[in-house]
Parts: sequence; C-alpha cells; structure tokens
Amino acid sequence: MSLYEGSVKKPIMTSLVFVAIMIVGLFSFSKLPIDLVPDIESNMIMVMTYYPGAASEDIENNVTRPIENTLNSVEHLKHLTSTSSEGTSVVTLEFEFGYDIDVLTNNVRDKLDMVSSALPDACQKPYIFKFSADMIPIVMLSATASESQAALYKILDENVGNPLARIDGVGTVSIAGAPKREINVYMDPNKMEAYHVSVEAVSQAIASENMNVSAGSFDIGSNTYTLRIEGEFDSPAEMNNIIVAHAANGAAVYLRDVARIVDSLEERTQKSFTNGQQGAMIIVQKQSGANSVQIANKIHAELPKLQKQLPPDVKLGIIVDTSDNIKNTINSLTETICYAMLFVVLVVFVFLGRWRATVIIAITIPMSLIASFIYLYATGGSLNMISLSCLSIAIGNVVDDAIVVLENVTTHIERGSDPKQAAIHGTNEVAISVIASTLTMIAVFFPLTMVSGMTGVLFKQLGWMMCVIMTVSTVNALSFTPMICAQMLKLQKKPSKIFLTFYKPIQNFLDKLDAAYARMLNAAVRHRWAVLSSVIILAVVVGGLSFPFIESEYFPTNDNGRIGATIELPMGTRVEKAEEIAKRLTDSWNKKYPGMIKVINYRVGQAGSGNSFASMSSSGPHIISFNMSLVQSNERDKGLIAICDEMRDEVSKMPEIAKYEVLAGGQQGGMGGQNAAEFEIYGYDLNQTDQIAKALADSMRNNPSFVQVKISRSDYEPRYQVEFDREKLALHGLNLSTAATYVRNRIYGATATRFREDGEEYDVKVHYEPMQRISVEDIENMMIYTPTGAGVRVKDLGVVKEGFTLPTIERKDRQRMVSVTGTMADGIALSKGVKIGQQYINNMELPANVTVQVAGSYEDQMDAAKDMSTLFILIVILVFIVMAAQFESMTYPFIIILAIPFALVGILALLALTGTNLNIMSGMGAIMLAGIVVKNGIVLIDYTQLMRERGMGYIQSAVRAGRSRLRPVLMTTLTTILGMIPMAVGTGVGAEMWRPLGISVIGGLSVGTLMTLIYVPVMFCIFGSSTIRRTRKKLRTQRELNEYYLAHKDKMVRDRVNKKIED
Amino acid sequence: MKSVMIMYDQAFQEKIVDLLTRSNCRGFSCFPQIQGRGSKTGEPHFGTHAWPSMCSAILTVVEDEKVDGLLEKLHAMDKETEMLGLRAFVWNVEKTI
Repeated sequence: MSLYEGSVKKPIMTSLVFVAIMIVGLFSFSKLPIDLVPDIESNMIMVMTYYPGAASEDIENNVTRPIENTLNSVEHLKHLTSTSSEGTSVVTLEFEFGYDIDVLTNNVRDKLDMVSSALPDACQKPYIFKFSADMIPIVMLSATASESQAALYKILDENVGNPLARIDGVGTVSIAGAPKREINVYMDPNKMEAYHVSVEAVSQAIASENMNVSAGSFDIGSNTYTLRIEGEFDSPAEMNNIIVAHAANGAAVYLRDVARIVDSLEERTQKSFTNGQQGAMIIVQKQSGANSVQIANKIHAELPKLQKQLPPDVKLGIIVDTSDNIKNTINSLTETICYAMLFVVLVVFVFLGRWRATVIIAITIPMSLIASFIYLYATGGSLNMISLSCLSIAIGNVVDDAIVVLENVTTHIERGSDPKQAAIHGTNEVAISVIASTLTMIAVFFPLTMVSGMTGVLFKQLGWMMCVIMTVSTVNALSFTPMICAQMLKLQKKPSKIFLTFYKPIQNFLDKLDAAYARMLNAAVRHRWAVLSSVIILAVVVGGLSFPFIESEYFPTNDNGRIGATIELPMGTRVEKAEEIAKRLTDSWNKKYPGMIKVINYRVGQAGSGNSFASMSSSGPHIISFNMSLVQSNERDKGLIAICDEMRDEVSKMPEIAKYEVLAGGQQGGMGGQNAAEFEIYGYDLNQTDQIAKALADSMRNNPSFVQVKISRSDYEPRYQVEFDREKLALHGLNLSTAATYVRNRIYGATATRFREDGEEYDVKVHYEPMQRISVEDIENMMIYTPTGAGVRVKDLGVVKEGFTLPTIERKDRQRMVSVTGTMADGIALSKGVKIGQQYINNMELPANVTVQVAGSYEDQMDAAKDMSTLFILIVILVFIVMAAQFESMTYPFIIILAIPFALVGILALLALTGTNLNIMSGMGAIMLAGIVVKNGIVLIDYTQLMRERGMGYIQSAVRAGRSRLRPVLMTTLTTILGMIPMAVGTGVGAEMWRPLGISVIGGLSVGTLMTLIYVPVMFCIFGSSTIRRTRKKLRTQRELNEYYLAHKDKMVRDRVNKKIED
Repeated sequence: MKSVMIMYDQAFQEKIVDLLTRSNCRGFSCFPQIQGRGSKTGEPHFGTHAWPSMCSAILTVVEDEKVDGLLEKLHAMDKETEMLGLRAFVWNVEKTI
C-alpha cells in the first residue's frame, strides 16, 4: 500500500500523526529563544602580553613580532592584527567562520608555550582572551540619586548589582559613575621630610598594624582553646595612632603627625548623567551563549522588586535595552508572516474558487511551517530574522505541492470519481512531479548548508530549515492532503447563489485572461524568432540600463534606535569643561528631536579600576561617552542615520571639540551597523604612513559622501614625563623601577591595606595631599629614599619635561598598518565610498614600500559576493541535473534554466527602480529565486510535453498547455510574490533589513514568470521545429539510401559473389 | 450461467465490488492495474505520463437471470460519470467444475 493510499484509508492515524507533529512543533516554538540573527560563534582570539616600561617600538620588536611569527601558522587564520603600545602588546587572531573556537584556542595556547621562552625576561606570560559579541552590554540601567549620591556605589552594588548577577545567563554587572568609598591617607610632604618618613614606610606600617592573626591552639586543663590576635581597625580614625617611625631623638612619630585621614570616595571617577541628572550606570553583560532577550526579560521582571529595596531617592531606569529592538523586529516580522499567510489563502481562494479547497490549503500551510520549529529546537537554533524570513519565503512554496495534489484530485472528482478514489489515484498521478519539484527546491537550498564564512553562518540555518519545510510539505502533500481531500471535497453539483454573485466576476476575468493569453501565445509561437530575439534584447537593455544605478553594500543598516558617541576635547581639558559641553549637547539634542529620544546618558571623567565595562572603552577627563536610545523606528519621523548625520554636523561645528565619533546602532560596520569604507595603509615608516593616512583622511573629510573619517593611529598626545638619569640613580643605589614606584606612590597612591566593615572591604590609599601635587615643581621636589636611608629629590635624579606619547603601532598580517575609516552618509552605498577612496589613493603618489588596501566591511562584502556567486553556479548546475533527470532530456532543462537570467534582470531592474542596494539579503533572494523561478518553467514544459505525448503538434501543444497552465503558474507565482510584499513594503521595526530580500524576490519572480510565460512555449516550438527538421532530414537520407540499395542490390550481390569466386 | 467481464477506470473499484455484493453475485476475479483504450471516445488508460489513469477488470460468473439487472445498474453507473469509462461484456459459460 502506498503512502497516500494508506493515509486515505486511515484518516484517524494520518490526522493524529500530524496533530502530534503540530503539538511537538508548538512546544518547541514555545521554548525557542529569540535573537536578531543566528548565533554567530566568535572568531576572534586576543593574546595580551605586558612588558612594563617598554616603548611601543620595543614591544613591537621583542614581543609582538615573535608572537606573530609563531601564531601565523595556526590553522584557519584569516587575519593577524596587533597593536603594540607602551607596555602592552595585543595580538588579535581573526579566524575563518565556522570552526570550533575552543579547538582554535588550544592550538593558539600550544603555539604560545613555544614562544614564551623567547620573550624578554621582564615580560609577563602572554595570556589568551576570547573576544566575542557577548561582551557588548545587553542592558544598561541608570540610577539617579540625590541624597544617597555618596553611598550610591554600595547601595547599587548590594541591592542591584548582586541580585542581577545572580540571574541565570548574566555575565558581569558593572557599575559606572558611582564612586567607591576609599580611605585616603593624605601625607604632608614637608612633615614627612622633617620626620624622615616615606610613603612606603607609612603604607607598610598601616598594613602590618591592620591584621588579625590566628596563633594556634593551646590546652588549659582538659580544654583546648584557640588563640587569636585581633588588630584590624574598627574605624579609620584608629589609624591616627599608628606609630610610623621614630624621630632622631627617639620620640615616636604617629601617623596623625604626618598625615590626614579622610574617609571619603575615590579621587578620580567617572560621572554618569542620565537625562541631565547625575547618577550611576549599571551595565549588564551576558554570559557567552546566553540569550539576550531571555535575560532582559528576567531583568525587567526583577526591576520593580529591586526598586523597592532602594532608598526612596534612588530611581532605576533603563538607558539601553538591546532586547527591545530584537523583540520589536521579531514581532514585526511575525506580523509580516501572518499577512503573507492571509494573502496566500486569498490567492488560493480566488484561483480555485472553492472554499473547501481553500480551507485545506490553509490547514496545510502552518503544518509544514510548525514542523520546522522542531528542527530549530532540536539543533539549538533560535527565532531570528533569518529563520523567520525563511518561513515567509516558505509560505508561498509549501502551498505549491498541496495545490498540485488538490487540483488533480478535484479533476478526478469532477470526472466522477468517488472522493476517496479520486484522492488515491489523483495523488498517485502527480506524486512523481511533486517529488521532483521538491527535489528542485532542495537542490537550491541544500548547497546553502555547505557555504563557509560569515555567509555560511547566515545561510546554514536557512538552508536546513527550507529543506526540512520542503520535505515535510511534500510528505504532507502526499499523505495529509489526499486524506483531507477525501474527507472534505465532494462534487459541487450546484454552487450557491451568494457564491455565484461573488465569484462570477472573478471567474469571468480569469476566463478572459486565459483566452487572451492563448491568443497572444498563438501569435508568438508563429513568429518565434522575432519574439525570442525581442525578449532577449529587452532583457539585455533593461539589465544594462539598471546595472549602473545599483550600488552594493555588505549588510543593510539596521535602525535599532541606538546611538553611541565619543567626543574628545583637547587633551588636558578639565573634566568640568567636558561636563559643561556634554550638558550643552544634551540640551540641544533634546530640543532638536522632541519625542524622538528616549534617554540620553553620558559619562565623563577617568574610569576607576575594577570597572570592566569602562576598561574596554577609552576614558579620561577630556572624553565624553554618550549612549542614546531613540523611540522605535516606526514611531519617529527621522531615520537613525539621518539623526546621526545631523549630530555629527553639529559636533563638527563646535571649535572646542578635537575629535568625535558618532556611531549609529552603537557599533561600526559588521552586521546592521552603519556602513563604512575602510582603507589600510601598509608601510614600515611611521611618518610616511602617517602623512598618507592624513592626506587620505583630509580628502575624504572634504567629500560629502563621508560623514565621519577616523584614522586608527592616535595622535602624538602631550604629557609630562620624568626622565631619570640612570647613572645618577645607580650612584644612589637606586634603579628605574624603584624610583618610578616612588613617584607613582606619591601621585597615584599606594594601596596599603583594606579596611573591613560590615563584610565589605575598602581600599586604604596612601598618597600626597592633593594640594601638594599640582605642579611640576611638586614632582621635582619629591623625596626618594635610597637603600641607605638617605633622601634624594627627583630633580637631582633626572628631569621632568613635557613630551609626547608614542603612537600605538598597529600591524596586520605582520606588516605595519594604519587604517582610515570613512562612515558613509545616509543613502550613499559602501561601493561608492570605496570607489571615491580608491580614486584619492590613485591620485596620490605612494612611496615604493607603501601599499593601500580596502578592508573592513568591503572585504567581507567581497568575500560574501565570491561565496554567493560560487553558490549560485553550484545551485544552477544542481537544478539542471534534477530537471534533466526528471525530463530525461537536456533540451528542456536548458529552456527552463534560461528563466534565471531573466529573473536576474528583474532583480536588477526593481533594485534600481527602488534605489535599493545590492547586499547579502538581496543576494539571498537571488539565490532562492533560482529554485522558485524554474518551477514555472517545469510546470509549462511538463504539460506541453504531455500534450505532445497525447498526439498534438508542437504549436498546438504549446498553446494548449499555456492556456491550461496559466492559472497554476499565476497562482504559485502570486502566492510567493504576495507572501513577499509585506516584507518588501513593511514599515515595522527592522523592516530595512529584509526589504532588499523582498524586493529582489518580487522583482526577479515577476519578471522571470512573465518571461517564462512567453519564451518557454516559443523556445519549445523552436526546438520542436528543429527536431522535426532533423528527423525529416534523417528519414529522407535513410529513404534515399534505401532506394539506392534496392536499385543496386542485385549488382552489389553479384559483384561480391564474383569477387569471392576469384579469390 | 454467463460470465460478465467488466472493464472500468480503477476509481470504480469499490463501487463495483459493492454492486456485485448487493446483486448477490458473490464470486468474481479482479485484474487490477491493466491498460486499455476505449473504441470511440474512451480516454486511454496507460498509466504513463500522458495518460496516467489505469483500468481494472472484473470477471464474474452469474446466473442468467441476474445478468440484465447487473448490466442495467452498471450502465446507470457509467452514465452518471461518463468521463471515467466503464464497459461490460457478457458471454456464455460452456462448462464449469
């Protein structure tokens, strides 16, 4: 018993099997995490090495280069970049996508073991740091406070930070902008000198007094007691009475004699302002692999509880919640899918004209789609843009199989079969072609699962999902659909009156359309060469006209409503000035974009240590870091990029600002960020490359296509430096590191010990009085004690002078490099930016040993383009093979595959008309079209061939088949196109991401289908007539040969016999 | 005794077996999946790409008086759905065991 026969005869089993699949599918759906894009495993590993005191060039030669040379041989390495700055070397390894990062990390570790011994002695052991997208904060909270400001850190750490960190999946919680309590011991240098005490001695004295020691246990009689000595301070004031030294006359010197103890806050901290009010910022980073949306939801649920535990003046708020955008995007995509489903059902109803048939189709669509959730859940996938786009594309395709079966069953019923018999035999007749059309689709989508690189990460899920959906939909069409047809369909003996009044006009229109198409086709096949050449010329002209208007980019920019901005004032600007400018900008932006900005947060000042988030970004008294959240994209008039461009414009006009960077989406390039053209200048000579980079950056800045240009190498920044004379140091029995530590302890401070109170620990820091470290003279007069106890002043050991910071040396693929990045203005494509930049470079006279390369997104884009074209060719070949096998012919697949170039022309034309860029998403559309567009050709050719086999002539077959197949072709095409329209015109959040996909599918499919309807019958007749001519010729030669043979048969036989006799 | 050979589109299968049962014609032999073509308008039943449908045939031997009734019912069935095609032929049974 075949599958369909069994299903029709066992309706309960069949329907319950599918009900079970639906239940498991819905269960999986409820468990699926939500994300923006499929989980992309990180492909970066950083190797950090500290070599204290070494200049950047020394670091480059002694640390970075040996490490680079060794690591260069690690497998699957794509790029090796490094930065060598003062005291630190960071080597970043970028791997090809799709390899297990843990294995790669082990390889890197093995190689590092080899190189460690070759590094300088003073150099610390290199350590490995895995960089991933998880480091990007998922939620930023603000806490504003008035009276509680001073104790804000402790309040937040205990009541917000710790509970949040306990949430499953949360990695680190950092608090910025709230200073920590610190006990400062301010030393008076003059008194210190008088009593002959040093900072070091004081800090040692404090450390050795602040101690609890367990002295073991001892026995008294029959009992054992433990002995403890408790010396830890109960209050900071106790420290006043510590004896730190003895004066020459033997009198004790107490700490109170030389220092002042202040129980206050850290000296240098970052201040954080939210909507103009000072407070703190709480940054939540997730654990690797955890789901942002789930965590964000849990945090949201937790917030009201946390708020209750806080003092009344501390108010929590949300600055940035990355999950908002994800949720909105996924919601609007889900809405799109619902619309698509509705459209598809409508189309089916209009074309089939039967409500029962429409209901059957409407039931089968969700079945195949829901089954794909099981796949997603089983493989640990998520609901994301790619998987949901996939559903949207699939809707139009899953109905096809069901429609084919349904149509044939209906034909059988109309011929008089019993529905049950009609279902079995009707399905039997089309089973092969249903399977063949699924194979065509699988030939398209299966190769997607084999792509490597970034494109592969995106396409893998899509490929597998489509394969699963297509397979399920075929199984469904061959089992569930016949079963439900047998149950629901019946011969329509008399349509109801209401139905007739409603449907009659549609019916008439479709009939007229059929007739008109048949007339047109009849004329076309009789002038086949003229029609074919005009179709080709039209395609070439349209393609040629639209091609120059199409620009390309890597990924569409996603309007996620976030802006990150870093504004740098001239080095050395005081933090108060930065604060004032930040406030001015905030006010101006709030006024300019009323109702568009949700939250503006900014941080100013030097971040303290122990703030892991701040340590990832640069901070300083002259740097302002903005974080803004806008309302969601469909609720504001201005796009994210337009707002960013205006902000840049405003900032660039402020003379106080030295440097600025406004990043749309909070990030640069990559997926969804604002597109930027990146040029890498390679060359050893720092001055040469500096000049070229500057020249390129200046030309780019003058071009309106770029809104922001950044040079990766930092400027030479002014600073003071103490230059010790090594001879003088040695004379006093000192060395550089001891002397440097002395200076550091006096300015930055020495952490003597930790003061414990209520289970919390606070640093006790010993340093100079703030007023005693405000001038160069203060530094020069610092007393350094030699091993013999004699004091020497800094000015006697060296000089304090103004200098410049050495630039950080960047290298890429073992060559020195500086990069110039230009962010593209709104509406200007990446490819155009690259073109402009390349022109500038070509006009420059580059020295012989300097080369310039395009990198960044453009490089990724080129990689992706290469991957996609290979994929495209592979897919076309596979589709051809499947079709050739189905038709057992090479001619028909050739005719059908010609639809693909027409579809490409359609894509180009619609992209050009709508001004959409060519990018990964539109490329994805083009690849899928290869499978969808040939389906129409298959339907047409298959039926024409059928007509031929039934004994009709070529022309008659073509016209008859065209007329008969017009509706199915239009129906399947319209279901796919209408399924895509909500995507192409959608205005929901994130719509800009999938719009190119929708546009390319619509453009390609509509043009491809129209062309198919014309050229396929024409080509069929051209090949047919040539076949006839060839057959006739063959027959004629055969006949002539035959006649000749018959006429000369006797003579030939006689000759042969005679010859034999002679022999 | 007469033998009735019924040739029909395989969609009739259940209906015909049902008819035979109702007409008290218990014994029959069925030839499923056979190819054929009608003499005048009958569509070919070849099970090929061009003509995908197939026929079946049933040979039943019945008492003489049942033949007319059976043929009438079969004819009615054929008239109802002429597109499918159903024919019956009757001939004598000389001997049986």
